Amino acid sequence: MSDFEVLDISGDVGIKAVGPSLQEAFINASLGMYSLITNLDAVQERKEIDLSIESDSPEGLLVSWLNELIFYFDAYGFIGKKISIKKFSEKEIEAVVRGEEFDPERHEGKLLIKAATYHRLQISSVDDSWEINVIFDI
Amino acid sequence: MTLETLRRIDDTKIEVPVSYKNGMRVNGIIYIDEILEKELEAQSIDQVANVATLPGIVKSSMAMPDIHTGYGFAIGGVAAFDLKEGIVSPGGVGYDINCGVRLLKSNLEKDDVLSRMRDIVSILYADIPSGVGSKGKIRLGPEDEKRLLLKGAKWAVEQGFGQPEDLEKIESGGCIDGADPSLISKKAYERGRAQQGTLGSGNHFLEVQYVDEIYDDKAAQGLGLFQNQVTVMIHTGSRGFGHQVCTDFLEVMERAVSKYKITLPDKELACAPYESPEAQDYLSAMRAAANYAWANRQCIMHWAREAFMRVFAVPLGKLGMALIYDVAHNIAKIEEHNVNGERRKLIVHRKGATRAFPPGHPELPGIYRAFGQPVLIPGDMGRASFVLLGTEKAMRETFGSTCHGAGRVMSRHQAIKKAKGRAIGRELEDRGIIVRSAGRETLAEEMSDAYKDISNVVDVVHRAGISKKVARLRPLGVIKG
Repeated sequence: MSDFEVLDISGDVGIKAVGPSLQEAFINASLGMYSLITNLDAVQERKEIDLSIESDSPEGLLVSWLNELIFYFDAYGFIGKKISIKKFSEKEIEAVVRGEEFDPERHEGKLLIKAATYHRLQISSVDDSWEINVIFDI
Repeated sequence: MTLETLRRIDDTKIEVPVSYKNGMRVNGIIYIDEILEKELEAQSIDQVANVATLPGIVKSSMAMPDIHTGYGFAIGGVAAFDLKEGIVSPGGVGYDINCGVRLLKSNLEKDDVLSRMRDIVSILYADIPSGVGSKGKIRLGPEDEKRLLLKGAKWAVEQGFGQPEDLEKIESGGCIDGADPSLISKKAYERGRAQQGTLGSGNHFLEVQYVDEIYDDKAAQGLGLFQNQVTVMIHTGSRGFGHQVCTDFLEVMERAVSKYKITLPDKELACAPYESPEAQDYLSAMRAAANYAWANRQCIMHWAREAFMRVFAVPLGKLGMALIYDVAHNIAKIEEHNVNGERRKLIVHRKGATRAFPPGHPELPGIYRAFGQPVLIPGDMGRASFVLLGTEKAMRETFGSTCHGAGRVMSRHQAIKKAKGRAIGRELEDRGIIVRSAGRETLAEEMSDAYKDISNVVDVVHRAGISKKVARLRPLGVIKG
């Protein structure tokens, strides 16, 4: 599979993301989520935002992180294309997200994501491969 | 546990017995007939059972025939909790707080609008912001936003969006008491700032319809509905503002679960005791979001009226575009109900369920008191929507609640696949329905095949007696996000 794929569930939609590390799987889950909102090929790196999130579990960290990205899109139209992680642990993430402001003229509007949820949320690893399953409320 | 453990009570409901799952304090009741039962998901039954394990639940964990799997609580769920022993759960309301529906009537008949539908739909589409990444025409300063959160639809009327007489025809007068703007996060304010007066996306819509069938002449007359009359239906909620309030308080509730040592079968049922500060704060924030949604539907209705005035070049009074009613279908409210002969105050959670109060209820406006509360059930964009009335039986059985819509049967992805090679917009047009949508894939995701047949859902609640059919509305023009 590629770095992420769309999970098909009735009513809403999810992302299954993989990576050689938890950090990479986080990035792929984030890009997977952005790709549900618009086609990322049309997004350029014109602007950047610095984010830092803490939580007490990897699951909590993932949900809070994705909800932070959703917030920046919903409040400011910011859509990311590239994520550079500065600091990462199972309970903390600091990153720079590069992208631009959504422009309905240039960017296709796909799904409006309300939130990332704990519904059937899974973070797992086998050998050197990490997998994330996360479902969004649409 | 298997599905065989479910017991059919009668042709409109089944019981999920207390033995279905460990920890159930009450049984589950799902209003469903044998046709819809074939599409009933095992996971949603499990969710009805999970809700029955929550502290202080009263009578039964209930679900309406449009039930489908949600987060924690099933969509289509109704659950009432005791104010002393019970809990409050944001998952029992949902992310889109006070998602709801309003219906406007008019003096126009179907034949008056048929030749103008293309213009009407174009103007509505241009005037009402919709779709992913769209911004509203209203920009709220911090003080405006606070006033809006306290006043709901009243704020919108004060700004010139609509008329004071609209307010009495909105559930809770379009403004629920007890909202506290100081409990709203900075993020929720920021998400809400540019989204007032926007339709959103997904299943939200604005529809121009006509009355194509009347089931109850007297009731239809009471509501001001007649055959072939043009109506406008608006389905939207509290937008990003409400989503953020829900997200914020799920975190608060997650901490509350361990603080108050509540055992949950599913993390998404996160909740806090009704009397706890966490639950009270959530309710105050939820009420602010509910008011945001009522203001939102009020603003959109105002622009819809203006669009009709422009197309027909007549003043509003001539068009007779008065509000019939506005109902919430994602909300938690304190209400009085009879439980085993005793009058009790309960916190009733409705998630994808509509309040359906009976004739004579003091919360109904005078003009509807003889008939019962109007219940508005939106269908998918190709089939129909319904107007029902609340009943005494709903008050006795379901805490005065009924269904809220069709409910999906197909995932979005399946729908897109099934629509491949088809032009859904053209198909609808061939059937006399003009559709405009901001999203390229929205029409495929939202096509009729993706939903249960609304007529089946409405028939179940009608036969069960928890609401009664008044009229069916068919779409003529649809704006989607």
